[in-house]
Amino acid sequence: MSVEVLAPGLQTTIQAGARVGMRHLGVPASGAADPLSLALANRLLGNDLLAPALEVTLVGPTLRFNAPTAIALTGGVAQATLGGEPIEFHSTIIAKQGDELAIAAVEIGTRVYVAFAGGLQAQEMLGSCSTYMAAGFGGHQGRALVEGDVLQLQKQNTNTDVARTPQEYRLAFSSTWALRICRSAESDLLQDEQLGELTNTNWIIGRRADRMGMQLDGPMMSVSSDGRMPSAPVFPGTIQCPGNGSPFMLSVDAGTTGGYPRIAQLARVDRHLLGQLRPGDHVRFLPRRPQEAIDALHAKHNYWREWLPGIERVI
Amino acid sequence: MPCSDSTARTIKACGDDLLSIRLGAARDAQAFAEQLRAAGEWQEVVAGIESVVVQFDATLITIDEARQQIAAELAKGYTPKALADVLLEIPVVYGGEFGPDFDAVCEQTGLSAEELIALHTGREYDVELVGFTPGFVYVGGLAAVLRIPRRKQPRQRVAAGSVGIADGRTGLYALAGPGGWPIIGRTTFTLFDPQAKDPFPVRVGMRIRFIAVSAAEAGL
Repeated sequence: MSVEVLAPGLQTTIQAGARVGMRHLGVPASGAADPLSLALANRLLGNDLLAPALEVTLVGPTLRFNAPTAIALTGGVAQATLGGEPIEFHSTIIAKQGDELAIAAVEIGTRVYVAFAGGLQAQEMLGSCSTYMAAGFGGHQGRALVEGDVLQLQKQNTNTDVARTPQEYRLAFSSTWALRICRSAESDLLQDEQLGELTNTNWIIGRRADRMGMQLDGPMMSVSSDGRMPSAPVFPGTIQCPGNGSPFMLSVDAGTTGGYPRIAQLARVDRHLLGQLRPGDHVRFLPRRPQEAIDALHAKHNYWREWLPGIERVI
Repeated sequence: MPCSDSTARTIKACGDDLLSIRLGAARDAQAFAEQLRAAGEWQEVVAGIESVVVQFDATLITIDEARQQIAAELAKGYTPKALADVLLEIPVVYGGEFGPDFDAVCEQTGLSAEELIALHTGREYDVELVGFTPGFVYVGGLAAVLRIPRRKQPRQRVAAGSVGIADGRTGLYALAGPGGWPIIGRTTFTLFDPQAKDPFPVRVGMRIRFIAVSAAEAGL
């Protein structure tokens, strides 16, 4: 009951739920950068929504199944084949012993999720099985997969009913995004017109983009700070602006404290999209008051609850 | 109970599920964070140098309720803990390839290399905060002349064990990764060991002294 890695892809890691309640020790959230897509894949196999699965980044891996296994693919747009035949996303697929799964380059979005019936075996560390590469723990030996790795399944399970994600629950991916943000602790350090510029600009996701965070390319933001701000807590989705005026947005593996002014905070309702923002994508930020953003979160939960009971644990 | 004006100034939303509490001093922030964690009702309670940020679950509690609960905890008061009776000696290889900003810091502060090392190793410090990444340590109490700002452009990667200074503190990078502090040296002291029973050997309240060593002595 194992899966062999014939080619690892650009950065393929085992991800599950986030690490919660450890940030005061400097332990970041980690977990799937797009937890909604992870949950959709696990849902098709009857797994826990946050069971350990593979997170594929931009260029997919090639895997060989050493036993029959039910799998499901979700996330960004990519071509995939099983035994040489094209396979669909958002559907339970039965892989036979010896079948090879090949996932090509991700064309729209950044990350694809591959879930396995019963879930992957993974090293649990500090409350989660998710890989945190910077410290080398969790997942498979705390790192991205390499050629020759052999992943174990928690149990053999091919009796899964074939399920398909209903059309209305298939996320549409594009290269332009509208993300809701709230003010953060140092938003006041931006001059008024700059706060407007933050939400009136077509930001472009920069080339420096990974699970730690991403650069936002656009106009220079001038913050009245001298680089001496005392370090303060930051979270996935915190937008900081260093002295060079070029803001960046933190993602799931980002550190827990930072010393650059926090000029905005991505609202919880849209934080699951961090994992799909891709260099070159266009982003508009929509200003929301905290209560408006929370109302939007409740509305999103209400939408998803029928297909994904327990959605509140996911996003 | 409506929040008073002073409470509103102290407790501020920094996101839709994040509230920041301004406390002013690192030891107060640590003490209040510990008190909130003991209450056990929050997703995250993270102390910074001068503030604490609480993340609450907006599906369970409204932002106003969260604010009121925190105000009630503040009203109870909190007691900063005494410093731990532990003095850690941290060996540091200063300058050269291990301290890429060492020369720039000398230039910025007008100190010679010898003076900079003597100043940095010449006193005992307190661990004010752990955080950022597992094992990253914020050491307070740097000499005033060394109070330089962060780099305008953070580095994409600093080496594990890097020793940086910024904003009156020394920062010890347990892991390789992005970082914005000017780097003056490197230590081989184990700051984070995921295999150990206690992966976090350095704790808030411990005292630190830096010892200048050569690369050969440090085994670098």
